Amino acid sequence: MTKSQDCDVLIVGAGPTGALAAMVLAQGGLDVLCLEQGAWVEPGDHPHYSSDCTWQRRTNWSSDVNKRHHPDDYPVETNSSQVLMWNGVGGSTNVYSAIWPRFRPSDFRKGDEHGLAPNWPISYEDLAPFYEKADRLIGTSGLAGDPAMPPRDPCPTGPLPFTRAAGRLAEAFDKLGWHWWPAEAGVISENYDGRPACNGCGICNGCPRGSMSKFSISIWPKALLAGTRLRTYARALKIEKGPDGRATGVHFVDRNTGRVEFQGAKLVIIAANGVGTPRLLLASDNLANSSDQVGRNLLHHTLVTSEFWVDEPIESHMGYVASLLGREFAETDVSRGFVNGFQFNCLTNTSSAGEAAAGWASNAKAPWGRGHHEWFERHFSHGIGVHAIGDDLPNPNNRVTIDPAVRDSYGLPAAKLFYQPGENDRRMMNFMLDRLEDIAKAAGAFDYKATDYRDENGVYRTPAWHMIGTCRMGADPERSVVNKWNQSWDVPNLFIVDGSVVATGAVVNPTPTISALALRAATYIRDNFRELSMTTRPMAA
Amino acid sequence: MTNLSELETTPEVGDEKLSPAGAATLIADFVDVLIPGERLWPSARTVGVQGQLALRLMEERGKNALPALVKAIEAAGGPLGGLDEAARVAVVRRFEEAEADLFGWVRDAAYIAYYENPFVAEAIVLTGHLYELRPHIKGYPVQRFDLARDTPRHGRGRYTKTSDVRRVDISRLDLESNRTQAWGLKR
Repeated sequence: MTKSQDCDVLIVGAGPTGALAAMVLAQGGLDVLCLEQGAWVEPGDHPHYSSDCTWQRRTNWSSDVNKRHHPDDYPVETNSSQVLMWNGVGGSTNVYSAIWPRFRPSDFRKGDEHGLAPNWPISYEDLAPFYEKADRLIGTSGLAGDPAMPPRDPCPTGPLPFTRAAGRLAEAFDKLGWHWWPAEAGVISENYDGRPACNGCGICNGCPRGSMSKFSISIWPKALLAGTRLRTYARALKIEKGPDGRATGVHFVDRNTGRVEFQGAKLVIIAANGVGTPRLLLASDNLANSSDQVGRNLLHHTLVTSEFWVDEPIESHMGYVASLLGREFAETDVSRGFVNGFQFNCLTNTSSAGEAAAGWASNAKAPWGRGHHEWFERHFSHGIGVHAIGDDLPNPNNRVTIDPAVRDSYGLPAAKLFYQPGENDRRMMNFMLDRLEDIAKAAGAFDYKATDYRDENGVYRTPAWHMIGTCRMGADPERSVVNKWNQSWDVPNLFIVDGSVVATGAVVNPTPTISALALRAATYIRDNFRELSMTTRPMAA
Repeated sequence: MTNLSELETTPEVGDEKLSPAGAATLIADFVDVLIPGERLWPSARTVGVQGQLALRLMEERGKNALPALVKAIEAAGGPLGGLDEAARVAVVRRFEEAEADLFGWVRDAAYIAYYENPFVAEAIVLTGHLYELRPHIKGYPVQRFDLARDTPRHGRGRYTKTSDVRRVDISRLDLESNRTQAWGLKR
């Protein structure tokens, strides 16, 4: 094993939050090293330029780590989830869709609202300035002025095109008297920061042009220019703790050579996502887990999905994949029979004819045999997808653990996921399914299909695009893993900046909030580095 | 995560009933039942779906998957060569019922291979759509957002401010129970 000279800050994971933290800290003059187990993903690596893009997105470019055969991945055992993850520079922004809504103020106060989920130790107002900063850095599009959300600065670029699918949906929502608003996106509608505007191709699972913010294009160049050293093919094995209770550094394997090395650091940041972070902590002799909350309270969101088809062609294979957001049911209303709310993420449809026939959001399929083409002509470019995505309640039994038997090729235990929706979640999903049908009827659909993601045995096999809550932030060291600055209660120079820190999941895609939280934490570390690099006082003391 | 070492690459598709050529013909006949040619649409066989399907089946499901497909069609009444259309459909229907998982995988893979084909893409265009097999290269001409025309005017929507969050009464919700067992689409 070799040992390198200590750096100021060692970051594990080069995904979106690792990138943002590296940028802030290196721009602040600190010596920053980032370890990434995967590789750079070059634009030409993506499937977007290939005629077999659809097939690749289902196989070697699947967002589900368990459906592809990629050497950068690690085993994730799961009872139900389809785990969205990309292990490489830019992390899951290589395959995400970049729908970019924010949490709402009440999401931070569920403890006060009903007590079935905790309050955050911070408020929406604490985070709001960092949402704005993140938007400018990342490059977003949208329309300010939504009466269903707090006032905000204009997005750096204006809203993406209002497609015919959006128009059809807006009419349906108007008929129902429900809220709708053009979707905010981590996609630029105009050239911005050296990147080209969205060209409306419709393949919105990552974007090698960089119109959709792929953090290896939008953020990492800034972090590298500021002096961050990024070491790829470096898989973290264990975080080491010294006798004074501080993290001393990280053991990792150089996957090119197979050599195990130790990198010392004055401060360690973990940015390895809601699965990778608890896995690494648990594999590091149960580090930072005096609360027994590491890995618990896994949140995926409640999710059910519909597709419907209308008579006139609406060119729904073109344009950015999200069209509108519907926030009519986003706040708690106990008269519905459950707490928390949900949102409609209204889409366009798949850009792929093959996917239109073989099954997309609802998995509706064209019939085989005579009649196949008639179905295709009637449905292709006539369809609209709608996700209803809700705030699932934290449950300590929904969790990430490490598998006692299965290990990766370097001996690190596999991550093991267990997730099951609870009573409140199931009631919410029933309500959501009924409302999805309302939308299809109001839109005058001639065909409609929904999915509840339950398999033939009734198991909820959620597309777990969001894996959050597994090292949650809190005000009480006995019930949370990190404090309001993302700092471990137990290990004072250990910070967690990825999605595992969220205390509640809200009703939206989490990357905007995770990005804002990472910026906020990194700013705190930068401004307090001298003290943080020396203190041995456990925050929980 | 699939172990690549398990995906051997040289299947034995022929059996005591069929030569490799016969097996290839059987798969070609099969995909033509799934997607027959109609009007401007070429049939699946015409555009070579059977070749893509065979390769992908082997790459994703392993060496034995292709012989398994051949045997499944045989078990359902294949080969299809000497049968009329109704009899071919009946064979495929039996295969679908007997081997639902394999059939579903093969059907989806055949659909995707078919619509990735440039001749099929041209047929889509002839039905009146702008359609590109590789749209990412040039994109589609989508009309820009027009603030005057497209900004919502409905005025609907509300949110609860941090200072306005109040306790809700959950005493009647009975959320400690586990009573919602019938949930989802089957209620």
